[in-house]
Amino acid sequence: MKPPPFSYAAPTTLAEAVGLLTEHAEAEPRVLAGGQSLIPLMNFRLAKPGYLIDLRNVAGLSGIRREGDILVIGAMTRMSEVERSPEVAVAAPLLAEAVGLVAHTPIRNSGTIGGSLAHADPAAELPAVALASDADLVATGPAGTRRIAAAEFFSGPFSTALAPDEILTEIRLPLWPGGHAFVEFSRIHANFAVIGVAALIDLDGDRIGRAALAITGVAPTAIRATAAEGVLAGADATDVTAAAAEAAGATVAGLTPAGDLNASPQTRLALARTYLRRGIELATSRARNER
Amino acid sequence: MTTANRADAPPVRDHSAKRRWVGQSIRRVEDPKFLLGRGGYIADRITPGTLHAAVLRSPHAHARILRFETAQALAAPGVHAVITGADAAELCDPMPDFGPDPARHTWRCLAAEKVRYVGEGVAVVVADSRYLAEDALELIAVEYEPLPAVVDPERALAEGAPLVHEALESNCAYERTFDFGDVERDFAEADVVVRDRLRWHRSGGQPLETVGAIAEYDPGTGSFTIDTNTLSFTSYLFMAANTLKVPANKLDIRPVPAGGSFGSKLFANKPAVIAAMCSRATGRKVAYIEDRVDNISNCDHHGSDRVYEVELAMMRDGTMRSIKIDVIDDYGAYIQFGVGHHGNALAQVVGPYTIGSVRYQVRAALTNKNQQGAYRGFGSEVNNWMLEQMVELAARELGLDPVAVRRKNFIREFPYFIPTGNVYDSGDYDRVLDKALELADYDHWRAEQKRLREEGRYIGIGLISAQERSVFSATEFWFWFDEPGAPVTSTPESVSLKVDATGGITAILYSCAFWGNSPETMVSQFVAEEFDCSPYDVSVVYHGSRDGLPATGPGGSRTTVMLAGAVEGAAAKIKEKARRAAAHLLEIDPDDMEWSDGGFQVKGDPERKKSLGEIAVMLHLFKHSFPADMESGLDGSKVYDHPYTTMPSADRKDLGVFYPFMGHACHVPVVEVNIETGAVTFLHYAAVHDCGTLVNPRSLAGHIVGGTAQGIGTALYEEYVYDEDGQLLSSSYLDYLIPSAMEVPEMTIGHVETPSPYTPHGVKGGGEGGRMMAPAAINAAVNDALFPLGVRLTELPMTPERILSALRAAGRTGGSTG
Amino acid sequence: MAPTTCTISLTVNGHPHVAGVEPRRLLVDFLREDLGLVGTHIGCEHGVCGTCTVLLNGASIRSCITFAVQADGAEISTVEGLAHGAEMHPLQDEFSEKQGLQCGYCTPGMLMRACEILAENPDPTPAEVRSAIASNLCRCTGYQFITEAVIGAAARMRATKEVAS
Repeated sequence: MKPPPFSYAAPTTLAEAVGLLTEHAEAEPRVLAGGQSLIPLMNFRLAKPGYLIDLRNVAGLSGIRREGDILVIGAMTRMSEVERSPEVAVAAPLLAEAVGLVAHTPIRNSGTIGGSLAHADPAAELPAVALASDADLVATGPAGTRRIAAAEFFSGPFSTALAPDEILTEIRLPLWPGGHAFVEFSRIHANFAVIGVAALIDLDGDRIGRAALAITGVAPTAIRATAAEGVLAGADATDVTAAAAEAAGATVAGLTPAGDLNASPQTRLALARTYLRRGIELATSRARNER
Repeated sequence: MTTANRADAPPVRDHSAKRRWVGQSIRRVEDPKFLLGRGGYIADRITPGTLHAAVLRSPHAHARILRFETAQALAAPGVHAVITGADAAELCDPMPDFGPDPARHTWRCLAAEKVRYVGEGVAVVVADSRYLAEDALELIAVEYEPLPAVVDPERALAEGAPLVHEALESNCAYERTFDFGDVERDFAEADVVVRDRLRWHRSGGQPLETVGAIAEYDPGTGSFTIDTNTLSFTSYLFMAANTLKVPANKLDIRPVPAGGSFGSKLFANKPAVIAAMCSRATGRKVAYIEDRVDNISNCDHHGSDRVYEVELAMMRDGTMRSIKIDVIDDYGAYIQFGVGHHGNALAQVVGPYTIGSVRYQVRAALTNKNQQGAYRGFGSEVNNWMLEQMVELAARELGLDPVAVRRKNFIREFPYFIPTGNVYDSGDYDRVLDKALELADYDHWRAEQKRLREEGRYIGIGLISAQERSVFSATEFWFWFDEPGAPVTSTPESVSLKVDATGGITAILYSCAFWGNSPETMVSQFVAEEFDCSPYDVSVVYHGSRDGLPATGPGGSRTTVMLAGAVEGAAAKIKEKARRAAAHLLEIDPDDMEWSDGGFQVKGDPERKKSLGEIAVMLHLFKHSFPADMESGLDGSKVYDHPYTTMPSADRKDLGVFYPFMGHACHVPVVEVNIETGAVTFLHYAAVHDCGTLVNPRSLAGHIVGGTAQGIGTALYEEYVYDEDGQLLSSSYLDYLIPSAMEVPEMTIGHVETPSPYTPHGVKGGGEGGRMMAPAAINAAVNDALFPLGVRLTELPMTPERILSALRAAGRTGGSTG
Repeated sequence: MAPTTCTISLTVNGHPHVAGVEPRRLLVDFLREDLGLVGTHIGCEHGVCGTCTVLLNGASIRSCITFAVQADGAEISTVEGLAHGAEMHPLQDEFSEKQGLQCGYCTPGMLMRACEILAENPDPTPAEVRSAIASNLCRCTGYQFITEAVIGAAARMRATKEVAS
């Protein structure tokens, strides 16, 4: 299981990196972030990029900072750094919780937040976080820099709105410091999640003011659970059990997941219902405890 | 059925002597090199200049191979050879095969005219590096004519199924029904017959290290030297020589430490044959190391894959009378070990119970899958599971306490001959059960179960009592046939002990493998016991196959017992000579000498003594100090044959004794089943094992936990999943799910020791026991948890999908609507 | 396309190395074959089993899904760097004492991961150790004696304040 040959460059500036993507377009170039998703695919020879542009030495792509109400994280920031960041813990605890569920420590030591988002594995946690958080993904290509809303970013399994000559450079997350939960079901601890739910709950007095939910494992990409969000708006936060169940049911009613060797469509629907409920209940309870 | 009219039992031994080293949990002798990263595994031994092989695998489950285009691959950088299956059929004969009809289900190292499973090798490339070899694989074009695949074993046996081997004219490779005792009478007299259908899907050893070989052909001598991490059945290595078309004495296979096996490296000769074939073809040393996908899809060692229809005849008071077992085993595309896995079942088919008669109907189905080989338990663990499922079902149907039902039927007089003719040498099943109940805190968990059910939580306690046989006889490979072609009866193990001029002892093991078992530690402890030296002062050497003594190698938990016998025999020869030598030096009659504390002394007189070292230096260097007939040197070898094997009767109503050293265990897992997710978690796990006298209790405990971890995998997570077209869906560790530290609970282990009357120190084998118990116990626990919901699982692994599906079918979960 | 060679500089177990490697060369193959450090093993080659674990700048990584070029400028620690001459690291000695190994194949990766675990948390509970070592598969031991060994080593290391790796 050795990877196929490729040409390689490790540029030091973003402009150089973008330039290489354009210049070597016919070689099917890819950028290399942590490689934790790409390299296994290459070892299986399922991915055969002719050119790899390693972003490890490009200045300015890592780091975590606040810009007002937005948490900005460089795409090359290692997941372990995001996991440990006190900034993230306060400003985007959903992200902190979710990133701690991505595989195991060694994967998070190498893997990057941008790499995970750009890889867009339908089972992955971070796309669900981006969707629930209404994050913006910032990409730079030969024509310049643009912001892509998370809702527009994930176009299919392993497929995003990034053009072949664009590089994801940063993730911009609106702050949501309060009620949050990332819950998931995997068969083996820390393996790929069969179902994952990202839940954000904001309170308005004793009621749920705002809810943002995203779910993985039930569609070709992670999706927002808008039906559930509708049910939850205005629900009684002091006893959310019934509303959570109803919200979960509302989302599940509109789903037609595919089955695989881990779970049939029926099982996925059952797990989705359970985990939506759990995510909503946990996020609501945390929202209440915050006050 | 006790001893009365049986012949040929070996003498009963006296185990009263106090032991100093046997029974101590000493640090393993093997460990330092592995801890320092100097283990010397096969891939560590590749020297510069060695070429690398990579195998092209079939993407089809069943297809004719029409043609190959290899010119581009041959021209690729660094490539030395491209050998297709058709080429290989000229260069090599078929693989060694103990199956029923090898001429008609012919197995080759690479597929020649037809591929029979996804992953089967069709060509091999030899290049300067594995990277370059894999690059060249992509340049080989193969034209296939796909054929319909058959994947379900029952469909494979039905009329009109696609034939895996046309020459066989059937997908039934073997079929026979055995009756032991009076089954019809026992069923007629029974009060109740309990019936069930059970399905055990295939899992496998999946050690972290794959199989590999480094081969060198020397045209000067016409010999092959192969280093490989596979061994066992070394007495049959001449079959591998046949495959390579060389005389047996021109093949030397040398063992190297293996990173785990669990059966899957047992006689796994295909990589060795491929590497050897490539070496001869290129004139260079060649390494072939399987990668993970090779090993999952093409390893020739998948585990049992069975469909059972069982009937258990019971009396209302819980007495078990008889059992009828109808089993179909899905062997995959080849059947290298025949139905030996069912011999393992027959060795302990009635479990620890006084069941009086057995009908065993076995059908071996061929399908388009990788073939079965060996996996810890070698088919007996499946029988344990099946039997304990039936005992649980019977207890439920009769309204009896399952623990009481077990006690009611326990065998209590030993040696005990079961209906098949095999013997259980010793045991104390009540003592094991009592200890297990205590360690399991059984009553506490029953109370917890009740309390938590009221909270809507489903806790289950599984309790199973089952056997763990050890030390197989050769007869179990041929008593399937009334007129076997080769009714072999040898399964020896050999050890040579050499005492050097300083009194230092070297133990030579012949074709014995290190696979994570501890042969060096075992041998060192036995040698230390014999000679009163430190186990750490013993040097252990692994000898290759060619000019060594006969040996069978690990398998069926035989190593500890067989090495014990071989060491005992070799030590006796050394002591005999040393006694004479010491007596001569002290001018005493040898009969007045006794062994004491590292030397021979005049009986009762430690002042007149010669240590082993003093004797040795004299024997090595001072020939003229001894009688003329005494040769220089001090060593002894023992070829230790199976101490207790008897022949099957001609009518096969009595299979004889073939697996006599019978261990026993009781496992008591406590689980919680989450009925929303189908997840099973452990709240407690107690296990008590009895494998006779323990040599290194800590080491055995490690095997129990490790074996249980694999049993957890088999029960809940691991399955080689083939879809209906024969595509292997679980082809990597992403989908073949191995338990991590979070899936395996901390275990509470207890030991009971009922020595074997027939073996040195009373040892029995115990390496497989954990896995032989855990699947049965965990299934029992899950069923106990779900009993109030009317759900019973009868299919392994009990994945969340299967559990939720069963709950839906019983109307017990709210996941049924979208 | 013609293979290119990249020059990398890295430190392995304290020794500096400069080497030319193909970009696709996996770090595990570089360590094993180019540097002869065969203590790091290959288990799955797709980043699941953890057998190939080494430390890169003190953090555990999976060397089977890391290119050697990604280790340029880094400090790599492998099992060969744990012992000091004849004296084993407390982790190694505890693995021997507690029989935390059987076949030894997962052991180097497990030891390196344990170094990281104890560097982060010198006084873990058994449950914390078990959760942390879930990153590394072992097929032989069932993890129990490994957990005991790590706990034992932690106690010894706290007592002597030995710096792990």
